[in-house]
Amino acid sequence: MPLTETSAFKIARRAAREIAPGAVVALDRGLPELVARVTPESMGVWFLRADGTLNGIPLSAADAAAIVRGGYVDLAIVHPAQVTADGRFVGRLYARDASIAPPGIGVDLASGARRIIALHPQINEDEPEICLASHLLERPVDGVGGIDRVIADCAVFEPQGTEFVLSEIATDRQADDVVADSDLSEVVSISDYPAAMDFTVPSGTPESKVHADGASALHDLPDGVTVFIDGFGGPGGMAHYLLMSLRDRGSRGLTIVSNTAGIARVVSFGTPPGRTAIDHSVLIENGQVAKAIASFPVSPSVSRPSEFELAYRRGEVDLELVPQGTLAERLRAGGAGIRAFYTPTGAGTLIAEGKESRTIDGRDYILEYGLRADFAIIRAHKADINGNLIYRGTSRNFNAVMAPAARVTIVEVDEIVEPGQLDPEEIVTPGVFVQRIVKRPDGFTGYE
Amino acid sequence: MAFSKLYDTHDAAVADVRDGATILVGGVAKSNEPSGLLSALLRHDATDLTIVCDFSGWDGSETIPRLVKDGRVSRIISPYPFLGAHGGVIPELWELGDIEVVAVPHGTLAERLRAAGAGIGGVFITTGVGTRFDMDKESRSIDGVGHVLETPLRADFALLRCHRADGVGNLVYRGAQRGWNSVMATAARTTVVESDEIGEPGAINPELVITPGIYVNRIVRAAGAPAV
Repeated sequence: MPLTETSAFKIARRAAREIAPGAVVALDRGLPELVARVTPESMGVWFLRADGTLNGIPLSAADAAAIVRGGYVDLAIVHPAQVTADGRFVGRLYARDASIAPPGIGVDLASGARRIIALHPQINEDEPEICLASHLLERPVDGVGGIDRVIADCAVFEPQGTEFVLSEIATDRQADDVVADSDLSEVVSISDYPAAMDFTVPSGTPESKVHADGASALHDLPDGVTVFIDGFGGPGGMAHYLLMSLRDRGSRGLTIVSNTAGIARVVSFGTPPGRTAIDHSVLIENGQVAKAIASFPVSPSVSRPSEFELAYRRGEVDLELVPQGTLAERLRAGGAGIRAFYTPTGAGTLIAEGKESRTIDGRDYILEYGLRADFAIIRAHKADINGNLIYRGTSRNFNAVMAPAARVTIVEVDEIVEPGQLDPEEIVTPGVFVQRIVKRPDGFTGYE
Repeated sequence: MAFSKLYDTHDAAVADVRDGATILVGGVAKSNEPSGLLSALLRHDATDLTIVCDFSGWDGSETIPRLVKDGRVSRIISPYPFLGAHGGVIPELWELGDIEVVAVPHGTLAERLRAAGAGIGGVFITTGVGTRFDMDKESRSIDGVGHVLETPLRADFALLRCHRADGVGNLVYRGAQRGWNSVMATAARTTVVESDEIGEPGAINPELVITPGIYVNRIVRAAGAPAV
């Protein structure tokens, strides 16, 4: 039976009911794109499409794929040719020979999304309305064990390992008829009491990301966690207000990952006379830091050591030294679902000690691992209330690469604006990476 | 300026493409693909080409299939080398053994290109583990999770499309144009960009530059774009 417009919208509306407010939803091409059209904007759902746009924010193909691989997709919606009872599926764009069948984004979604649902699997219009199979028929598997629900316009099926269970049925259809008409009796059993399919569009609004102050934004930052904190040579780009809030909160035993471990105070670029720049030193002198992973942890001046340096000499803190570009790449890998990568940086030096080395095409590389953290404390210029960020000048540096690599990213901004007030083309960090937003208090300067 | 990246014609910008070259082609739709450069490549005589692309024919563009039909392409590397069971000339020639088709998951292709541009020797990822895409690849269990090693994909040329370029090759894109074009810009030895608009150096706000000019070797005005 061919897919009619009415049945397509029914499938899309039922699929939309799988989406929680504020969720990140990846849509394969075709029928799944209809789900975005029927989902109310007020739900604040992030739709990532195969063309690399995220709610209209254009991303590079690499950044779009990183969102999927990095584990940010709560739900992927695919339209495969066939689904098996153990949750595997084959793509809809198939070829007579399996080896050249186009994988598209289906394989990425199958590997990276937390949950996958399939819409109306159907190979050809002249084949049964719904194609569920006990085993795959000489077709390439694109997804392994991922699909947990199949939505057609008349019924919902749940892969349960060796068979599907029909768990929902449209009120104008009989479950027995649907199974018989689509020739599914071999692979489907009918739940004792199938629920009535609900085609009403969902509702709800996401929790606000905006926090009134730093104490609220950091309320659950416990002892002993890893925290990303931006920080270059000077005070620019650092979340000074949140650093003071973290000092006031007093969480201890922290591992901080940062380019410097706080040298703005001793370098004092641009610091007004008589003032002191706020940097990581406020945490170190308060005894909160156990370890730093950094590329420039010490003062450039021997006569003016940094707080971290002094604490290190006293044996109070541990240090892992990482070249600056490797630190950036490890963070990028952490956010992009890359577990490890080969880099030439540091091969043959002290940096390579204890690491796997490898020669590739005549060049020496070492293996470095992605870095992830529980929290990131970053600084941007403006945020909209959905967490989309823009930076100003060099303050983009580590902030933009840290945001995707933490479980909870908290941003301090100069200004919070309404959705739509940032041009999608200029958004650098999409809001999917930002969980909490705090406005820097008026008059707060970043100096003590 | 002592030298210029600006080329007068699309043909001049691709004149040195040689037989056997690997060429990245940006875009997923007519408005996003370098249609003038592709037309110039059709007029060119280089053969035995490897083409790396998304499927550029979602809205009916036929340039890459025409290159294939003319016997100029020996290999396609793509997440969508063709569409559907009746995919046209590419699966036909593949069945005759006249062309090699390498199907690559979308995100894996993007990451292989990004790795090439960023000097990364290879990445361990989970994409495709347990499917046909982990065959013949080095695999490794890390923290109990299966990973495969994906290697960088470098090219000789990238033929790209952007919205605006300045004279030194800084680029901005428009909408989904950014997708493949911005990744491919970093991964080729010679990156050639077809731009709707070309301005003087400094014409683009530095905060908005997506592809810095160091990645761009040649700029040519898009076919049909008005002269500035």
